[in-house]
Amino acid sequence: MPLIRRGATPPHPQLDGPSDPLADLGAPDPDLRRRAARELGARPDSASVLGRALALEGEADVRSAIVGALVRIGGEDAVAALLPHLGSDDAARRGAVLSALQDLPETLAHLPGLLADPDPDIRVLAAEIARAMPPTAAAELLCAMILREPLPNPCAAAVDVLAEVGSPDCLPALHACEERFAAEPFLRFAIRTTIARLSAGGA
Amino acid sequence: MTDARPVSAATEEEFERLCEFLYRRTGLAFTTAKRYYVDRRMADRMAATGSRSFAAYFAALRADVGGEVEQLVNSLTVNETYFYREEHQLRCLSSSLLGPLAAGKRLGEPIRIWSMPCSTGEEPYSIAIWLLENWPEVDRHEIEILGSDIDSSALAAAAEGRYGTRALSRLPPAVVARYFECTADGEWRIVEGLRESIQLGQANLVNSEDVARHGRFDVIFCRNLLIYFDDASRRLAVENLYDALRPGGYICLGHAESMSRISALFEVCRFDDAIVYRRPGGKSHG
Amino acid sequence: MADPARVLVTDDSAMARRWCRHVLEGAGFVVEEALNGIEALEKVLAAPFDLILVDVNMPRMDGMTFLRTLRRQSLPQGGIPALVASTEGGEQDRAAARAAGANFYLVKPLTEEVLLAHVAALTGRLA
Repeated sequence: MPLIRRGATPPHPQLDGPSDPLADLGAPDPDLRRRAARELGARPDSASVLGRALALEGEADVRSAIVGALVRIGGEDAVAALLPHLGSDDAARRGAVLSALQDLPETLAHLPGLLADPDPDIRVLAAEIARAMPPTAAAELLCAMILREPLPNPCAAAVDVLAEVGSPDCLPALHACEERFAAEPFLRFAIRTTIARLSAGGA
Repeated sequence: MTDARPVSAATEEEFERLCEFLYRRTGLAFTTAKRYYVDRRMADRMAATGSRSFAAYFAALRADVGGEVEQLVNSLTVNETYFYREEHQLRCLSSSLLGPLAAGKRLGEPIRIWSMPCSTGEEPYSIAIWLLENWPEVDRHEIEILGSDIDSSALAAAAEGRYGTRALSRLPPAVVARYFECTADGEWRIVEGLRESIQLGQANLVNSEDVARHGRFDVIFCRNLLIYFDDASRRLAVENLYDALRPGGYICLGHAESMSRISALFEVCRFDDAIVYRRPGGKSHG
Repeated sequence: MADPARVLVTDDSAMARRWCRHVLEGAGFVVEEALNGIEALEKVLAAPFDLILVDVNMPRMDGMTFLRTLRRQSLPQGGIPALVASTEGGEQDRAAARAAGANFYLVKPLTEEVLLAHVAALTGRLA
């Protein structure tokens, strides 16, 4: 039969020789950089090094390993290393960082600040981050946000999330938002849909 | 004729809310045509979880309490395991994937295929049988098939290689005759030669050393596992799978799964028989 | 009469997809949905579309990466017209979208009139 069954396990290429992940994080070879990033996920003190590497990394699989390492390290250090990249010009980097922040519960403490960030694009992303936070806290923060948010896009982002995490307690804030943005057809549509969703349930 | 809806049937808005969550989380899409079907399954799950309201159930589902996402999705989709399940992927393997992969091999370098999770063995044995039966080049290459799972009792069953008639129902009779023996109690057992040709062993996809130990593969079948992991486990599992693939190697997911809900690391490849995903690099792109 | 034009609406916001579907179906278009760039690629590879409407910020694969991947593959579908709708209104974002292969770049929030006008222009018909 052409099917073969090995007795011994095959050689594992990545275990050959000692490695210096901190140095390799800046290596020209992307495979080395990826391997280094993966190893650094086991070293809690490498969050800021990884965060700096994230700014420069152009290869998608290395970036994925860096972000994965930061999520594995976790905690406030990881959140601090990731947050600056929310404002990146690179949509792929922004997305990877957003997803990582969603996986870190320490992000919740930063949400009020993010939801009030001077940059409306950050406020939009912050609403999406809230989707992954505990629903009661998320809903409270988003309702508070839509009461004072001056622009339609961040409101729309918040309303989209409220449709999933909200409760009848959110209705007053939604009605108030609807009145403020009476001239915005998409936002009114989103608010009306969300009001219908949250009114029906809650029994 | 009026049908008596169960008391816990979802309202229109609740149905929408549930469907949007399921679509976002798993990629499964249910239209209003499936309303009653979903209602029934959700009512069953509400009873099973002791949820007194949709809001309570939805909260438990979102938080994946007790693996509720998997429970609900399993109740909504067909999940039997049998030989030649998802035959279109096996056809894609022999028709489209192996040719270019084999062309890139040095003399004596085997083609390595991983079935992970392999559960009770239907999948790795199916791959072996399919290739022996359907790949014209099968005698010209060495093929190594490894089946791994975290569950040692499933692996023990796989090593035994005994199955009921139902598991064989998709196999042509000639195939059954070649690869199975009928046992005294009316079951079927994989012939010894084939049992001896597959390697089976325990592995935890979330543990990178565990995965790295097995070397690199040309094709990985990882069906109906990733989509049910929690976020942290899924991240680790995906990175481990990427590292376990040779550049240009392929990964096949379950029929209702998509990398869109899992990871952007892999390229989307459409072949006549299936959509599969590929680790970039290598020379295998057909 | 020709078959109605098929539009793929790609956005991770369920509300945005719902609204676009409402507007486009109301005008006679056939609408399919995708939640991010990977799902959009899978749908484009599986069926023909006359136009892709795509958001920028989406999980796993963003709209720019999707466009670059779409344009890079040597597929018959690679040249499908693409309308990017984004919350970001800067000149840099607009230029990046053009470079990635967008035919048009619209800044959210959209109105029904703006959406329909651009869809009509890019599909060459009203529906």
